[in-house]
Amino acid sequence: MITRKTLEEAMYAAMRTASLEMPPDVRAALERALAEEPEEMARQHLEISLRNADLAHQGEGLVCADTGFPLYFVKAGSRTVIEGGYGTLWQAEATATARATQDCYLRPTMVDPLRRSNPGNNLGPGMPKLELQFAGDNDGLEIIAVPKGGGSEIFGTFYRMLFPSDGVTGIKKFVLECIMNSCYAGKICPPALIGVGLGGTADLCMSLAKKAALLRPIGRHNPDPMIADLEAELLAASRELGLGPMGSRGINAVLAVNIDTALTHTAALPVAFNAQCLVGRRWTALIASDNTYTLTGEIA
Amino acid sequence: MKDIALPMSEKTARALSLGECLTVSGMLFTGRSRFHIRAVEEDLYPPIDYKKINCFFHVGPVMKDTPDGWEVVSCEPTSSIRFERYGAEVVRKFRLRTLIGKTTMGAGTAAALRETGGVYLSKIGLSGNTLRGQIKKVHNVFFLDDLGKTEATWIYEVEKFGPFFVAIDAQGRNYFAELAADAARKLPAIERKLGISPDYNYTEVDAK
Repeated sequence: MITRKTLEEAMYAAMRTASLEMPPDVRAALERALAEEPEEMARQHLEISLRNADLAHQGEGLVCADTGFPLYFVKAGSRTVIEGGYGTLWQAEATATARATQDCYLRPTMVDPLRRSNPGNNLGPGMPKLELQFAGDNDGLEIIAVPKGGGSEIFGTFYRMLFPSDGVTGIKKFVLECIMNSCYAGKICPPALIGVGLGGTADLCMSLAKKAALLRPIGRHNPDPMIADLEAELLAASRELGLGPMGSRGINAVLAVNIDTALTHTAALPVAFNAQCLVGRRWTALIASDNTYTLTGEIA
Repeated sequence: MKDIALPMSEKTARALSLGECLTVSGMLFTGRSRFHIRAVEEDLYPPIDYKKINCFFHVGPVMKDTPDGWEVVSCEPTSSIRFERYGAEVVRKFRLRTLIGKTTMGAGTAAALRETGGVYLSKIGLSGNTLRGQIKKVHNVFFLDDLGKTEATWIYEVEKFGPFFVAIDAQGRNYFAELAADAARKLPAIERKLGISPDYNYTEVDAK
């Protein structure tokens, strides 16, 4: 049985590490972009960002001071047992988030939307956000902690209800418009990871986009060749806009276009767009049933 | 690289060119949305001498309360364009000559900076941890209790703070507006390649 204490520790450790370390696939992609960018300003944006991540790694700050929305993506197996039941997950994430905020690994950024009052610990209705999924025949837990920065969320979220008659052309036009709009003046802190959701209901569509942006390792493509081709085509198009890191003149405004799909209504073609910024923060805690856990920057 | 003393003189500001990289040294104050809204809507702002502390740094720093006083954990410049509704009025009200933030502001703020003889400086890359080391002293904090650590106004003394680049110059020119125009010119060819015809329109469902 996985105890509440283990959950709290593992969630705290995953969130803290996500704030201090750039995931290895993201760093590798930024280094490739740095080698490719011809303009001095574009290279400087990348060099300084990589140095900033090095400083965070050495305990001199955070990967980015906007630690944003505290999100946890949890995957349980069919035989996973949790002390106190699954509701404990939500209690543990609150404890872990408040502690990470107290220890300055998270900035107290979450406020009431109307009153703008700040509880000071990132806790309140809906936050931190935890998504629970069941997958596989195992007795462990996978927890991916994501401090999701404001820039990419605020300036990089779009939704449009297209129609079957809009076709794949409409999808391409919409995604390209979103890339232009969000990368202009570096609003989403490019080079960005772009998630696109196709199909489902409005909320499912956006959730697909969000998870495609946040959780898919760079270089992994949709297993459906038709979707993978669309991903490649849109990524190639983004590289011709003349926009690069932080919206400067360059090539790499986008590091990846990740598309995921769900069945949808025969009358509809919903498209959602959600961006993740250049640091792509996410860190995983894998908890075993014997209450040991490991942290990893790799995505299974 | 030039290091410019704060408060920046009008003469210095007007001599800076678009895209130029520089650092600044001296005193600055911080703020975000709440600073702008309160200063304009409620005429409520920190009681500091804006002639002396004239550089407005758009940031919500991560601050740690230690026995030796406040410590800056990290301070990443935040998206300044969010403040555009109030940008021009704040520049005029405090006669600001130096704004530091993330990437850009709009035409209104650019026009106000042209009047005051000021510039808007943007961060280069993610730099919150480098900048942290260039803050020599946290002098004061205002509105901590009602706004919290992120939205409060902090007074920092900085040394060779940066580098930043001039994203809006004192003539009102905007680095990113020029880039966006270039991107817009490239768009038709990119759309053609994707098979989007110039007369393509999304399905119209509000047909009258």
